[in-house]
Amino acid sequence: MNHFRLGFRSVLPIISGIIPFGAVMGSAFSEAKLSFFQAMLMNMTVYAGASQLAAVDLMKLNAAVFVVVITGLIINLRFLLYSAAMSTYLKDASPLIKFLCAFSLTDQSYAAMSGNQEKFKTNEEATQFYLGTAACMTLTWHLSVMAGFIFGNFAPSSLALDFAIPLSFVALLVPTIRDRTHLTVALFSAGLSLLFYSLPLKTGLMVTALLSIAIAWVLIKKARKV
Amino acid sequence: MIGNNYFLTNLILLMAGTICIRGSFIAFSGKMTISPDIRKLFTYIPAAILPALIVPATFFYQGRVEWLNGKERFLILTAACIACYFIRNTLFVISFGLVMLYLVTNF
Repeated sequence: MNHFRLGFRSVLPIISGIIPFGAVMGSAFSEAKLSFFQAMLMNMTVYAGASQLAAVDLMKLNAAVFVVVITGLIINLRFLLYSAAMSTYLKDASPLIKFLCAFSLTDQSYAAMSGNQEKFKTNEEATQFYLGTAACMTLTWHLSVMAGFIFGNFAPSSLALDFAIPLSFVALLVPTIRDRTHLTVALFSAGLSLLFYSLPLKTGLMVTALLSIAIAWVLIKKARKV
Repeated sequence: MIGNNYFLTNLILLMAGTICIRGSFIAFSGKMTISPDIRKLFTYIPAAILPALIVPATFFYQGRVEWLNGKERFLILTAACIACYFIRNTLFVISFGLVMLYLVTNF
């Protein structure tokens, strides 16, 4: 099957976790009294939900520009790791494909690709699969933000649909846990994230990610010596 | 009310910074050699980042089920992880978690 289509289909089940997040983002734009044009401009050019939410919250409080920007960028620093990982597949890609892949990097797209790695024989197949996941994610995200902006947070609170967001991450995470070392890193990251949760400017996420990667490195080196 | 100039300044800087972060390594792909160990390390990225996104969001969420000390989301998420390990189906995991949460909070 065409790898683009395969990628598109692979993230279809997790859109139930994207829609409530998009709705929250859309209603946050609306509550901040941003115009539809401003909201969509930010959504289409930044395209990073968590940092957009933090930035809009800070802008409502009239925080200094550097505080808004630094907070947003620190939340987005994790994309540096995804970018490094994606670069191995994009060696021979055209500048346009590289740009599209970089611009559409998300947790979900990268995790979906990482969980399906064994299906790709060439870098081109991997890139097509990735672009398929990114197309599905982008489409769902923009439409749900638009709906959230127009209709408010339409998800009934009794259904707690916002809980679908962490659940969709679980569904993406578990297939990437291939052995005991992956499990150790995941548990280590979970524990550290609680410890560093209250670090300022939401730096806990990046500190946790870097320390977890460091542990993974130690485990890889240890496994090689055995 | 968020002023237009203030909004645009923030937007441009955030957009430029984010694309620089996302494009950083991708822009130089093909121009650097990545060792097999580093390639292996990349497979750990989801395990390093995703738990840090989901665990605090559920653990520090104050729920309303008294007998679970308000930690129903965290406990159901843990159960969903175990279920997902055995049944690798995204829709099942999301439905399982949402139904469990609905039942625990409403009955």
